[in-house]
Amino acid sequence: MSIATRPLALTINGQQHGPIEVPVELMMLDYLHEYANLTGTRFGCGQGMCRACTVIVDQDDGSSHEMRTCITGAHYFNGRRIRTVEGHAQRDEDGEVLALAPIQQSFLEHYSFQCSYCAPGFVNAATVLIERLQREPVARDQLEDTISDALNDHICRCTGYVRYLAAVRDTILSTPGLVKEA
Amino acid sequence: MLADFDPSRRQFLKTSMVAGVGVYVANLGSPAFAALFEEGILAPTDAAWDAEAARMRFRLDGVSKVTGAKVFARDIRARDMPHWPDRQSHAFILRTTRCDRTYEGFDLARLEAEDLLPDRVVTAQDLERDGIVVPEFYGPDLLLATGQTPSYLGYPVAILIYHDFARYSIAKNRLKFKQDVIRYGQETGYPQRDPYGTFRYIRVGNDDAYQPDVYSALQETVLTPDYRKRHPIWPEALRSGSDAETAMYHAGRIEEQLASPPEGWVVFEREYYSQYTDHFAMEADNSNCWYDRSSGAMHVVCGTQSPAELASWMPELLAKSRFASKRFFLHPAYTVGYGSKDASVFPYYGLVAALYADGHPVRLANDRYEQFQATMKRHPFSMRHRIAVERDSGKFQIFKLVLDANGGGRANYSNSVAFVGATAAQGIYYFPSSDLTAQANYSRMPEAGSYRGYGTLQTMSATEMMIDELAAELGIDPIELRLRNLLKAGMKNTQGAIPAGASRAGEVLHRARRHPLWTEREQRKQAYEAAHPGKRYGVGFGCVQKDFGHGAEGVFSEVELTPEGRIRLRNIGAEMGTGYATGQAAVCAAWLGRAADEIGTAETEWSDMQMESSGNPYIMAQDEQDRLARNPRWTPLLMQASSASNSAYYFSFPTIEAARIIFRHGLWPAALEYWSRGIGGGQAAPYVVREQEARWVDGKLTASGMEPLSLEFLARRAHEMGGVTAAMAHAFNRWAWATAEYEIDGQRENLPLDGLALKYGAGADSQKRRSMTSPRGYHLLDRANVHYPPTQRNNAGVTYYSACGTLVALAVDTGSGEVEVLDHHTILECGNPIVPELVSGQLQGGVAMGIGHALFEDMPLYEDGPGNGTWNINRYRIPRAKDVAVWRQTSEILPPLSDSDPHKGMAEVVMIPVIPAIANGVAHAIGHRFTRLPITPDKILEVL
Repeated sequence: MSIATRPLALTINGQQHGPIEVPVELMMLDYLHEYANLTGTRFGCGQGMCRACTVIVDQDDGSSHEMRTCITGAHYFNGRRIRTVEGHAQRDEDGEVLALAPIQQSFLEHYSFQCSYCAPGFVNAATVLIERLQREPVARDQLEDTISDALNDHICRCTGYVRYLAAVRDTILSTPGLVKEA
Repeated sequence: MLADFDPSRRQFLKTSMVAGVGVYVANLGSPAFAALFEEGILAPTDAAWDAEAARMRFRLDGVSKVTGAKVFARDIRARDMPHWPDRQSHAFILRTTRCDRTYEGFDLARLEAEDLLPDRVVTAQDLERDGIVVPEFYGPDLLLATGQTPSYLGYPVAILIYHDFARYSIAKNRLKFKQDVIRYGQETGYPQRDPYGTFRYIRVGNDDAYQPDVYSALQETVLTPDYRKRHPIWPEALRSGSDAETAMYHAGRIEEQLASPPEGWVVFEREYYSQYTDHFAMEADNSNCWYDRSSGAMHVVCGTQSPAELASWMPELLAKSRFASKRFFLHPAYTVGYGSKDASVFPYYGLVAALYADGHPVRLANDRYEQFQATMKRHPFSMRHRIAVERDSGKFQIFKLVLDANGGGRANYSNSVAFVGATAAQGIYYFPSSDLTAQANYSRMPEAGSYRGYGTLQTMSATEMMIDELAAELGIDPIELRLRNLLKAGMKNTQGAIPAGASRAGEVLHRARRHPLWTEREQRKQAYEAAHPGKRYGVGFGCVQKDFGHGAEGVFSEVELTPEGRIRLRNIGAEMGTGYATGQAAVCAAWLGRAADEIGTAETEWSDMQMESSGNPYIMAQDEQDRLARNPRWTPLLMQASSASNSAYYFSFPTIEAARIIFRHGLWPAALEYWSRGIGGGQAAPYVVREQEARWVDGKLTASGMEPLSLEFLARRAHEMGGVTAAMAHAFNRWAWATAEYEIDGQRENLPLDGLALKYGAGADSQKRRSMTSPRGYHLLDRANVHYPPTQRNNAGVTYYSACGTLVALAVDTGSGEVEVLDHHTILECGNPIVPELVSGQLQGGVAMGIGHALFEDMPLYEDGPGNGTWNINRYRIPRAKDVAVWRQTSEILPPLSDSDPHKGMAEVVMIPVIPAIANGVAHAIGHRFTRLPITPDKILEVL
């Protein structure tokens, strides 16, 4: 008996991938790792609990949301547009980093991560949060709770979260239009 | 990406021959690894180093890490390795989940029906036939043979190898959780074994705590008994007998006093239990190995805290087998472990899989269920604490501890975890007499091993819980009681050793006592409970001091200054996320004015030094050491693993020494030459210019008002003048540093190094140039009058400490039993932090891990526990941001006594005091003292 496959085509970090025959049972995380050689999206628990495998799905209405790729089949993403951690920084033609995205720069300067295994999930979650606040600014006195709610599901075993969340707060406060007065 | 890879750029460094196998290492961050991946992992130091502030702006691996670059071994596939075949095979391990019956094989019919049978299966028969023997440290056998009863839950029986990912992935899913794959035979009952080891430390102090002890482990001996029917047999008690017999005499006297205490004494006794927990290192264990059958070369990619061990033991395993492996390539990657990748047996399964993978690279990567099932855990401890105290004064008199550490099915480091736990149990206190017994036991539980805290977390947490209760019983403020019993500088620990330097735990206590969380705790309790019906508020405190280091540290480091003023650094440590590479780079600045530009981590190539090691540094006799030390290239230990909070102090030590030698014999003479130029001795003549006055300011060297000089200028001049421009050093520590004399530029210097090689600049005279004959062009110096710390110092247990205290405010929900950590404040003493941001990050992360230990993390030990292969974080709670008071928590680091304080290890101590602080806070909140961790809602509801 041969393994059942279906064609998969999607956009990752602005680049078209596929169509390519992919097993129907394949998880998206395995597609990223084994087919696309994008290993920055990390395997943590395989249960969708730790969120190291989070990517961003871009909607046609301009909104974005997080998806967990260790529990979501690759074919769910057929025809969709996603961003992974590899897609945030500006790079030159050789792939060298020219400039980090603001949230990446902030994580770097705050010493937010240690081993960094969870960093891709935090980059994506914080990016989705920032993009949501661009559409729906939050009152200043709600900011800390908003950040906690947005990032609380992401597990980091090294840092105790303090430097991650502080970096997100600083980025939001220094980006015009994300916070409104109460 | 790598199609145009140029093999000539490969710069594998041949480290040595092990058992006839050539060993080569290419590390992440090294030129060889950069060649492999066409990009550096580490950012240029120019961008990260703030010369004006003399600080790191960000960690050197930060850009790679925050952009998702291939940093971890788990990210590496065969196609990423330029010299490997592209085709990647995958493997997983079949494991037993019963220990009461014989193992009789496995049934893959479920796979056969879907055409998912593996391309290759490896069993114990293969290993037996091919002479593959597990290194002695890791025994028993790697794979269980049929007919035997598994000695622990999760014992591996077969490795299944697939030459494509899709079939591997589906097959693995088909077998997951299935109970009918492994066949079992006759019932045998659970295996029984002797304990792994028992250790007893007895000390009777003098009436004057500063005078020599009546008896101590350091002066006399540690007891390590034999067994009869799995119980230790202690020596006879004789007042004037052998050291061991005398110890038992004193133990008897101590027991008599505890049983019939003198007038005015009170004896407290409690039993404590610290639970079985998982590291949950987010990068689960993995390896990617390729056995090139055509050349007989083995290539290994893996994350490890102990690369030197792999580079030694893996070639030995290959050499003893029928596989004619002649070359061994190791690629240690950046990783994360908290101890789980220190002396782990896992990489050996990856190595073995590659031998049977039909010449394909094979990747063995645990999923999280497998990780819970198979990877080392924290030892569960059962502890019986007894403390005798003088009621009126509150002064402690006797401490007696009996602890059992459950080591599970492989011994690993269980013995040392047990005795390290015992020797730390006194915490920050002085006890005139003590009797500490630690036993590491075998069980069928998946093995326990190295884990942040290493036994001390268990014992010191229990001690701090007991002290709090004891204070309440005595009617003394808990911090006041701690201050009355503080181990002060010059006093001895329970092994009879005097800790290094000043004792600063008292400062931690005084600061905690003044903190509003403590001074206002009763008012806050009233206010909180009035505002939050159904909740009880409590504040708890804990304070400990934790050793750093293993008791035997061997470290190589190399610092080289180029004529352009660039600094290259190599060191043995592995980057596990702690910022080790960044810290190593930064410590150069003290002597060279700026951070290192190139950093090599996990380096095992030090053949220039021609050093060799033999014997066991922990247990060798003094006469054996004296005899071996006659060999001028001998050292008790070449390289230690990256663990036990050892990078900041021990791994930096030879780096700093090497940089200092370059300064003293390269840069300083160059500066003096410049400042003395001109008539009458130049600008230096009117002033007195001494080396001690040298200072680096804004990246330039000045002294006594001399014109500041750049490193670039001084480096060029040092090279032109033939000064020392590079130093490769080895240091050894056994609770003190080995020292030796070396002749440098005609000057005899006594240095805390037992090996040293130097390079001189191009302007060196012909004699110096002729001396630089090592492979890297070093002049290997001959040491004289070497002095190694006496072997008796092994009994010291520990002499290096960092102190840490934590205050916690919490609320107990009387309806749900949930404990909410509302706020916490930690006070840490760690000498001079190298990179303060990294220190505070370690502190914050350690406190979070401690909160998990106190409140959430727990597993059954046996059939219902992780060994059954069904455990994951759906039922093992890891602290989230909202669990750790992320917006309210604060911390402070005691200012160093001076800028010459050492860089102390601190990554373990920070996770400990929060544990008893929470237990003590719960007691303050609801009036019940829990003695078994974690304190879960069920337990709270039961007592409420």
